[in-house]
Amino acid sequence: MLDNLHSIDRAGRTQVLIVGAGPAGLSCAIALKKERPEAEVVVLDKAPGLGNHNLSGAVLEPASVHRLLDSALPGWRETDQAKEVLARTVQKDDVLFLPGASGAIQLQPLIKLAGLLGLGPGQMDHKGDYIVSISRLTRWLGQIAEDLGVEVHTGFAVDSLVPGEGNSVAAGVRLVDRGLDKEGEKQPNFAPGETIWADLVVLAEGCDGLATERFVQQAGLKREAVQLYSIGVKEVVAVSEEQYRQFGDDRVVHALGYPIWTPVLGPGMFGGGLMYACGDNKIAVGMIVGLDWQENDFNPQDALVHFKNHPYVRRFIEGGKVVEAGAKMIPEGGLRAVPRDPQTGTFGKGNVLLVGDAAGFVNMLKIKGLHNALDSGRLAGEAIAGSMAEPEQAARKYTSALEESGVVSEMGRARNYRQTIARFGNLLGLPLSVLSEVLPRFEVEPDYQAMRPRHYRFKGNREFDKDTFTAMAQTEHREDQPSHLQIVDPGICLEKCLKTFKAPCITFCPAGVYEEIQGVVKPANASNCLHCKTCQRKCPFDNIRWVVPEGGGGPRYKQS
Amino acid sequence: MSNYIVLVKQVPDVSQITDNAFNPETGTLVRSRLQNVINELDAQALAFVHRMKQLSGDEEGQVVCLTMGPPMADEVLRYGLSRCADAAVLLTDRALGGADTVATANPLAYAVRKIEKELFGGKKDYFIVAGMQSVDGDTAQVPPQMAEELGIGCIAYLTDASYEDGRFTFKRIISGGSQVVASRNQPVVLTVAKYEYPLFASLAGTRRARQMQVLQWGAADIQATQVGSKGSKTQVTRVFPPGKTNRKCQQLHNPRELARALVQSYQGGGSAAAAGQGPRDYVLPGRRAHNFERTFEGLEKDNESFGILAERMRAVGIEDLYEMTDELRAQVVTSLKGQFSEKALDEMFEGMRKFEPAFKGEVWVVAEHCEGRITPATFELLGKASELARSLEVKVGVALVGSQVQPLAQELIHAGADRVYLTEHPLLAEHDPLACRKALAALIEEFLPQIVLYSATPQGRVLAPLVSYRLGCGLTADCTSLDVRDSTRKSLVGILLQTRPALGGNVMATISTVNSRSQMATARPGVMKRNPDDPKRTGEVIRREVELAAEELCMDVLATEIAHGEVNFEAKVIVGGGRGLQNRDNYEVLLNSLRNALGKKLGTEVEKGASRSAVERGFTERIRQVGQTGTAVGPKLYLALGISGAIQHMIGVANTETIVAINVDPNAPIFKMCDYYLIGNVEEIVPKLVEELEAE
Repeated sequence: MLDNLHSIDRAGRTQVLIVGAGPAGLSCAIALKKERPEAEVVVLDKAPGLGNHNLSGAVLEPASVHRLLDSALPGWRETDQAKEVLARTVQKDDVLFLPGASGAIQLQPLIKLAGLLGLGPGQMDHKGDYIVSISRLTRWLGQIAEDLGVEVHTGFAVDSLVPGEGNSVAAGVRLVDRGLDKEGEKQPNFAPGETIWADLVVLAEGCDGLATERFVQQAGLKREAVQLYSIGVKEVVAVSEEQYRQFGDDRVVHALGYPIWTPVLGPGMFGGGLMYACGDNKIAVGMIVGLDWQENDFNPQDALVHFKNHPYVRRFIEGGKVVEAGAKMIPEGGLRAVPRDPQTGTFGKGNVLLVGDAAGFVNMLKIKGLHNALDSGRLAGEAIAGSMAEPEQAARKYTSALEESGVVSEMGRARNYRQTIARFGNLLGLPLSVLSEVLPRFEVEPDYQAMRPRHYRFKGNREFDKDTFTAMAQTEHREDQPSHLQIVDPGICLEKCLKTFKAPCITFCPAGVYEEIQGVVKPANASNCLHCKTCQRKCPFDNIRWVVPEGGGGPRYKQS
Repeated sequence: MSNYIVLVKQVPDVSQITDNAFNPETGTLVRSRLQNVINELDAQALAFVHRMKQLSGDEEGQVVCLTMGPPMADEVLRYGLSRCADAAVLLTDRALGGADTVATANPLAYAVRKIEKELFGGKKDYFIVAGMQSVDGDTAQVPPQMAEELGIGCIAYLTDASYEDGRFTFKRIISGGSQVVASRNQPVVLTVAKYEYPLFASLAGTRRARQMQVLQWGAADIQATQVGSKGSKTQVTRVFPPGKTNRKCQQLHNPRELARALVQSYQGGGSAAAAGQGPRDYVLPGRRAHNFERTFEGLEKDNESFGILAERMRAVGIEDLYEMTDELRAQVVTSLKGQFSEKALDEMFEGMRKFEPAFKGEVWVVAEHCEGRITPATFELLGKASELARSLEVKVGVALVGSQVQPLAQELIHAGADRVYLTEHPLLAEHDPLACRKALAALIEEFLPQIVLYSATPQGRVLAPLVSYRLGCGLTADCTSLDVRDSTRKSLVGILLQTRPALGGNVMATISTVNSRSQMATARPGVMKRNPDDPKRTGEVIRREVELAAEELCMDVLATEIAHGEVNFEAKVIVGGGRGLQNRDNYEVLLNSLRNALGKKLGTEVEKGASRSAVERGFTERIRQVGQTGTAVGPKLYLALGISGAIQHMIGVANTETIVAINVDPNAPIFKMCDYYLIGNVEEIVPKLVEELEAE
């Protein structure tokens, strides 16, 4: 028994700590462990299991996976997991414009033309990309990482970074307290958040990471432009064999226009619908909407319903059964919204690195970010491998590697795209965006300021069934914990928001977390939360704060 | 200082059933398609142990997690190691597979002996702590059976512990109330029914746990005596999906619709027929129209086969099995060629010659009583026992064990007992499980009944495994249906088929007893129907003595709280309040206003009930608790406010005609087990509902 009581001190520290076991964090761990097999690498994630908090389209540029795995896992192409996770590549890539509740115009020829002319939108071509489930991809990467000796621990939520001394920017992380009751009192099983000491910390939390945003503030990192977000809502639908065959096993569809944008009458939201083949007679349907929508009664799920009922979409999914659903935010601001150290320009600072969506490496011209998550993660891993002896040099090395690689230059081409549209709207902005590379840089307002007392034109007369949607995300939290959604000033809800906008959070939250109970807006169903964090970016008075709940809660995506 | 052995079990996560988890052909849940997790009550047991160590300020005591299962059960041991366990033992061996509860308890008990010797240095001051039951088996039998094998006490259904003057006292659930007890000896088996504060794994602990060694023992290491399917006393004969609920499960959208549904349900008929209406009554083979008629088989497929065979036999002119010549038999065999294999026909003909029931003796019920009254569940069992005994043409016996309980015998005879077997002793007054099991086992050993039924109550579910293990008999837990049937192809006549839900009610299993003198089962209260009382019935009282000494008891009872007060659960309408009411004020205010409004509107008495959680939280008194551990009710209308619908509660309202539920959680399980439901906050809806009731 005594030999079981060794190494007590070592368990509270590690050389490298990665916050977030998504594609970026795991790529970092894999690349690092490949170069430095002796390094002690711990990856933490708040999800109950690997891949449970990962949701995306998703198409993935093959080169990024190949670059990661060719060196880390020779022979990976022959593994069963590779054959399963990367089974499909895009052969048929439709881009449509939906002018209204029916009718569809193919835009693919225009995209091809733009591509030939070297214009930005030409990048929106996915042919040859993998169609993946990001949740499955994550599970696979997690397994690869563990096989290489990385410690991956799910169910542990990180609260914040512990500031370091001297040259060291961070000394480790502090985990979230557990075992508090609803009122914040300690239960008999209260377990205070541990401190895990680390030489290097990688923030790979994904979009709008809590520890990341706190670190950005505390370390004084700066964004050239505010981050802009969009929300994606998605359902995986099991359809008939016949429908699936007709749709095609190697096909993705992206659709602009109806129901979130119509040229003359509005609405004028940024985004569009998508359909991806998922294998096994399943098709993912989704709707992505920029958070700068103006309509106070808009809910992205309403748009998803309209999209699903558009004849072009409906025929493939009619009669199908939704087997999984979820929602997630996407950081869309591009390179200008990636936080950097104002003195050195690093993506991160000293011994703290920012990778993937936590940094904001999404390319909106390509409407893809997964390849950059993998690439930035891998480069971070390599940079760390080269700075184990001098951890405070890691951010600098990582940043030069990013700049030398395709990530920064690719992001650079897209740097003005989303802002152009945010500034000029779809009607003018979309055509202008073709030239966004050469246009001057615009200042834009944060998403939450966009809200107006305005009615969504296609508002249906039936409420979207959020309960079923949430149930299909299999989301769950320990009920008896303090609400992780906090309303800063309830007076604002009462006096301003309800009067002007009728508390849009009640409508737009995809999980129906918010309710008005006896005149007070409350996060009444916090345990239904899908961790998309839209509320804290879209509350028109910036009056909602998302804090990290106990680890192990949240959605349980498996095939998204 | 004490050491601890915590029994942990890896179970399928029935709370996360995925769409592909069901076999499309049979409709049954496929266990391997579910994720594996630690049994929730075992996680609570571990936390309970941590609490005991904390209370006693014991930093030295070792905690050892023990499990039996396939190699992957290692994961649940890591669960323990990452929290507070110091060591872990995995009992794994192919030879141990296919075990029922007896063949699980036996090797676990042998492993405990080995742990005592090798890890605790032979010291006996330890506790064996387990969750009361597992979510997949739901039997609650393994811990008491282990206690019986080890010859130690078993204190079950614990909810809390305290520590004073160097001694632990435990709070535990008993039928109709709660009790504070202390263990008289160590080691002792403790089972935890509810301790809501499972431990969180620390990251450091998790990292350490990954490095730790798990001790792996095989069958040869422990030398257990009853293992695998050979050592089992029961076998599963059939697994099938649970019948679709005949509740309507209709969603209502506002208080007005709700008010209307309440009134209509009360005035009209409800949807639910009481469960437990078995199929046709069994008749012994010799009594059937043709003595080769074998259509009381346990499996429907066999009924069909024997039907075909009987038809053929009649077609060739056989009227009596004994008249069947080899020639006629050959004719039958030829005409069925292609339909049945020769071997199958041989088995069928062979079995047909069996007329004697496989078991002999009476059908018994073990009487449960509390404060000088026989419990309703006992009378329900007597109803069932009468039916079984009639079929088997034997007498109904009741075992009545206690202190000064003779006056109760007459009542049992009126309710269907032919003989009451009575053992009285002052030390039986507190229902000490060890004392009761000694008295009861002695009666059974002497009179050898073929069937023994116990109530699946906190008392019965401890006593039954102790007694059955002691007598080497199989036991099936928590049955919802009991039928006598034949298994002619195995040459078995008149055996008891015991049907019960498993995997959290997601599958049903029919089980039969093997390698046993008696067939034993506990049956769920509220499911069987009692006989009408017949004051003219007469019967015999047979008295036996038992020798008992105080040293043989396993616990000191320090305080007993039985729910008292004036509650009329015979009322036609019951309004139940649950955890969703948040506090005592809400319980009182909301339920009273609704009670008045409903009472006026429907012109009937309306009673208030509560879920266990509501009682535990002090919203109301224990007496109002409805459910498996409270009172089973069967009103015309049951309105559940803020009750999630835990299975233990729903069992207690199964006989209700119409169930209506209001709950804020759209995923509340009660919505799948009720007739009408409304999703919403009880605090908001009840006042509106009262308005509607008063307005209409």
